[in-house]
Parts: sequence; C-alpha cells; structure tokens
Amino acid sequence: MNKIVAMAAKDIHILFRDKLGFFFTIFFPLMMAIFFGAMFAGLSRGPASIPIALVDADRTAGSARFVGRLETAGGLAIERIPGDQALEQVRRGQTAVLVTLRPGFGAALDNPFVATPEVEMSVDPTQFAAAGMVRGVLLEAAGAELQEFMSDPSRMSVTNEQNRRLIEEFSPASEARDDLLNVLDQIPRIPVLIDEAGLGSVTTGATGGFGPPLEIEQTQVQAQRRGPTNSYATSFAQAMLWTLIGGSVSFSMSIAIERSRGTLMRLLVAPITARQLLAAKGLACLGATLFTSSALITLGITVFDVTPTSYPLLALALLCGSICFCGIMMVLSVIGRTEQAAAGVGWGIALPFTMLGGGMVPLFLMPEWMQTLGNISPMKWTLMAYEGAIWRGFTLSEMLLPCAVLVAIGVVAFSIGATRLRWDTG
Amino acid sequence: MLVFDHVSKCFGDLRAVDDLSFELEAGEVFGLLGPNGAGKTTAINMAVGLLEPDEGVVRFADEAFDRNPREAENRRSLGLAPQSIALYEQISGADNLRFFGRLHGLRGSDLEERVAACLDFADLTDVRKKVVSKYSGGMQRRLNLAVAIIHDPELVLLDEPTVGVDPQSRNAIFERVEQLRDAGKQVVYTTHYMEEAQRLCDRVAIIDRGRLMALDTVPALIAAHGGPGNLVVRTGDGESRHETTDPLATLADLQARQTVDHFQYLPPDLETVFLNLTGRALRD
Repeated sequence: MNKIVAMAAKDIHILFRDKLGFFFTIFFPLMMAIFFGAMFAGLSRGPASIPIALVDADRTAGSARFVGRLETAGGLAIERIPGDQALEQVRRGQTAVLVTLRPGFGAALDNPFVATPEVEMSVDPTQFAAAGMVRGVLLEAAGAELQEFMSDPSRMSVTNEQNRRLIEEFSPASEARDDLLNVLDQIPRIPVLIDEAGLGSVTTGATGGFGPPLEIEQTQVQAQRRGPTNSYATSFAQAMLWTLIGGSVSFSMSIAIERSRGTLMRLLVAPITARQLLAAKGLACLGATLFTSSALITLGITVFDVTPTSYPLLALALLCGSICFCGIMMVLSVIGRTEQAAAGVGWGIALPFTMLGGGMVPLFLMPEWMQTLGNISPMKWTLMAYEGAIWRGFTLSEMLLPCAVLVAIGVVAFSIGATRLRWDTG
Repeated sequence: MLVFDHVSKCFGDLRAVDDLSFELEAGEVFGLLGPNGAGKTTAINMAVGLLEPDEGVVRFADEAFDRNPREAENRRSLGLAPQSIALYEQISGADNLRFFGRLHGLRGSDLEERVAACLDFADLTDVRKKVVSKYSGGMQRRLNLAVAIIHDPELVLLDEPTVGVDPQSRNAIFERVEQLRDAGKQVVYTTHYMEEAQRLCDRVAIIDRGRLMALDTVPALIAAHGGPGNLVVRTGDGESRHETTDPLATLADLQARQTVDHFQYLPPDLETVFLNLTGRALRD
C-alpha cells in the first residue's frame, strides 16, 4: 500500500510541478468558470438586449401601439431606421434581425376576426438563436394584444360594427349571411358568457379559438446573388477559421520542436540572419494556412454549392486571415517553449478568444462588457471578413475594417513574437 | 583561426566566462574541458555568434581581416555539431544534408557532391534515403557531425559528440575527427571523457568558473600539473599504493624491505591534471 501511495504522491507532485499540467488542471477550468459565470450572470438578469432593426411599413395607430409594446417588453434593443439601410445593417452583421411590420398590420391587429397581422423577419443566418428569441418576443406581444382585445367588449363592438357594415355592403342577402351576422352579434358577449359559465380564471390569457396571433415570415439576409445559397456558406466560414487556429497552433509547436531538438540552434548558427529565419517561418505558416483555408473553401464551392459574392474579396480575406494567424503563431511559439506547452497554450488561448469572438456562444447571450471585449478577438474579425466575402456581400470599403484589424493584429503579434524569439534557443 | 581575446560574459551576477583568451591553429584539434558550469557552452555559443561577449572580442582571424561570428555571412566559416541530435527526423539523411547545404549557399552539382562526400564521411551512403528516425543512435551521431561539415567549414565545433554512443560508434567518430584534422580543419572539441581528449586533442584548455586554468599540449599539461604517478605493489601483506616521481627508485626501495609479488606504475594522466586544477568537489 505504501508503494502505491508513494507512486500516486509522485504523480500528483509532478502534475503540480508541470506548468502545462497546472494550467489545464487549475487555470483553464478557472478561466472557463469565470467566462461562463460572467455569461450566466448576465443571463440571470436576462440576456443582453438583442439588437434588432424595425421598419413600420404600416404606419397606423395599431402598428405604433405594437411597437410601443415591444419597446417596453424588454429583451430587444430596437433601432428604427429606413428599410434598405436596416437590411444592410443585418447583412453587415451589425444587427441580428430586421423586423418589418407589413402594410395592413394595424388593421389586422384591431380586427383579429378577419385577418392575422403579418411581420417579416430578415435574419442574419449566423444568428438563428437570436432570431428564435425575437420570434418569441413578437408572439408574446401579439398574444397580449389579442388578449386585451378579447377582454374589451367595447373594442369588440366597434370592430363588429365595422365587420357588419362590410358584410352588408359586399355580401348578397342569404341564409349564410344572416347566420354570420348573428354570430357577430354574439361575439361581444363572449367575455360575459365566459364569466357566467364560471370559466373566467381558466381562460385568462387565452386567445380563444383563433390561430397564432401573428403571422411571421422569416428569411435569411444575404447579398443579392445569382447563384444559390445554402447553410454551408456559413459553416464553411467557421471551418476556415478553425483551419487557421489549428494551423497557427501547429506551427507554434513546430518552432518549439525545433527549439527542443536543437535544430533551431543549428538554423541560428547558419549564415542566415534571424530576420530571414523568422521570415521563412512566417512564410511557411502563411503558405500553409492560406493553402488549407483556400482548399477548404474550394471544396465548399465545388462540392457544397457555396458561392462567394466576391472572389477578389475572398482572396483578400483569406490573405488577411492568414497574416493575422501567422502573427498569433509567432506569439504562441514564444509563450510555449516545449512542444506540449505550445499546444496547450495555443488551444488554451484559442478557445476563450473563439468564445469571446462569438465562435461558440452567441454574442447576445454575453453581458455587454464581454461583447465589448470580444472586439479584441481576432476570431471575430476573421469570421467577419470571411462571411463578408462569402455571403454577406461586403463591398471593398466594408471589407477594409476587418482586414485592416486582422493585418494590424498579425503585424503586432509577429513583431512581439519575433523580438522574443530571436536568440531564444535554450 | 578562431580567436578569443580577453572575452567575458555575465548572466546577471554570474560571470560565466571571465577574461578568456586563446587562439586556434590550423589543423589543430583543440580540447575545451571543464566541469559542469565551467563556461564551456557559453564559450561555444559566443564562438558561433549566438551570444555577444560583454567584454573582449571573439573573431575569426584571417590573413586579410578579422571576422565577427555575430555577422551571419561570417558564420559560413564554421560548422557546429550540437550536443543534442539536431536533425529533422522525418526526412532522410541525404535530405537533411541537402537542406543545411542550401542554407550555406550550396546549389546544384556542388551541393550534390558535398552531400555524397558527407554521406561517405559518415558511412551512411547505403542508408541515405532512410528517414533519420529509423537510424541507430550511432548513425544519428555521425550524421549530426556530417551536417556540421556539409559546407566544408574552416572551423568545426563539436559539443560532446560521443554522448550516448557505443564503443564502435565512438571509435568511428574519433576517426572522423582525425580525418578533419588531417584535412587541415580547426576543431574545437568539448567532452567530459578525458581519454577522448587525451587521444584526440593537440592542445587542451581547461576552464573552471569561466576562467582559463591551463592551456597546453596534453604531455605538457601532465608534466606541469599531473603531479606524481602511483606505484601499485602487491606483497605478502596485501596491495598498497605509493605516490612517486621516480617509480624505479621507489620500487627498489620497497623490494629491499620485502618481497614484491606484483607491481604496476600508473603515470599521471589528463584526468589527474583536470582534478588537480579544478578540485575534487562535486559540481552541480
């Protein structure tokens, strides 16, 4: 037994002496705990408001009342902007959903016996979770409207009178018309009859025998294009990001391997400058990540019908993404001095940044400060550049911001890594 | 030739190399000996340009001019075989040689000639296409040495080149080092094995705590610092050991007193010199 305890104690001792082991045993779970804790803390107060654009194409008292109800319902950060501009905002990824109240919305809201109010939801394809929540808020608001209507005999009477006039004006005299008018006469009595039947508490909140209180037509917002689009357009952009992450971690490991096996020393004593050596490493990483991400999107284009909106901008995005992750590779390689440490540190850094960048958890679920922090995540800008070229239909000027950020991160990170690596062979 | 001219190097409070001076001569195998932490690796790193001296100068003295190894172009003159096997295991021995040859500016037929010559030098021609990970430890050591001379440098630095190899491979490496000397190369050879230094080195520098303790040929070092030899005798009373500078006189004296059944004279050697100069205390 003593021998078993001695061996177990030795293994535990070694685990805590090993910095990488310590990182993954304590520090990484702690980071995850803080990350998800902060996120769920935000959720317990309700998730941060989902940014939506709203266009009221109806412009009636009923539609205005509905918008007011949405604004006070919470959960949505509503921006009212012109339709074209709103659609552009969703396409650029600045807004998750555009909600358009179609013409006739207010009339249908005030006359649920005749029509169902209609809205159109134009959704960023990467924001389906947010779209689901927006749909819920819309239905809830419409349900509340209907419930108020059903609880108000005077409103129902007014509506009934309108409907009666319509029927009398447009329907020829018949037995069916008379039956319909009789039914209309009874409708305002429904709340009274419910009370008299002792069902008041049971039916509270019910919308009667009507269908859904709102007709929602949902479409994905993508750039205008001739070719077909599909869900692979978004999944391949994500996959290309993971290619970059994997490539940069692998290359950072390769430098650590060169260091631990002595070949880095051999390279440094060859008649080449440190600058040449670093350029070669950078070029290899750039070439490899460029090749793998290009191969991946080529596969997406040829096999999965992914049709980029702009091939030149896609090339630009691929290049900028690779430049960025080359820099990240260089920093990772100096942080992780051994092969295992480079891999551990690489993934240990990549995963939280991917989360912060919205690569794993929808950004709207995070507290606002975490969303702001996400702006430092290269993953966020890489995805934006890739999606911009593949399906968001970015123009060159729209592409400049993510590309400039990616190149800047790449250059700064490469410089930091290069400065630290130069004579570091031990 | 490689010149260390009053070179010092500090790491914080530690003076790793302290006023070290020596010059190599053409066609010489120069031994650099010292206990752990003596400053050998720091000296080697300065010789190959990885570290810059805090004081003094390291240079390759030429008839025409002095060259600083910190400048990349000047490192064409030197080849380094690190103590660890510094090779790419996933590619073949020939491809390792080709890669490092290209780094040193070799191209085309010149490169292929040098690759063939180095494979022959390391006795690896038959396995040139095998990936290095399939090589034995001895074969990897020989390739490690061959890569250091792919560009035919004037100066070759061998850092503990026989660590972890069997006697046959060690002997093969000795032969290669002697070939380099015969070809007129300067060789800096660091080792912990005194018999290697004694066999191979024309001159030996013993350094300790960064300072040069002695520098001379092996016989001269032994004469100067070896002290007395040991005469081991076996008599009816058992075996005894007697320090002496005149073994014949000592033996005659012992025989006059009792019958000597057997005797052996152990002259001072390089290890004795090393221990006399650096002490017997453990260095960690």
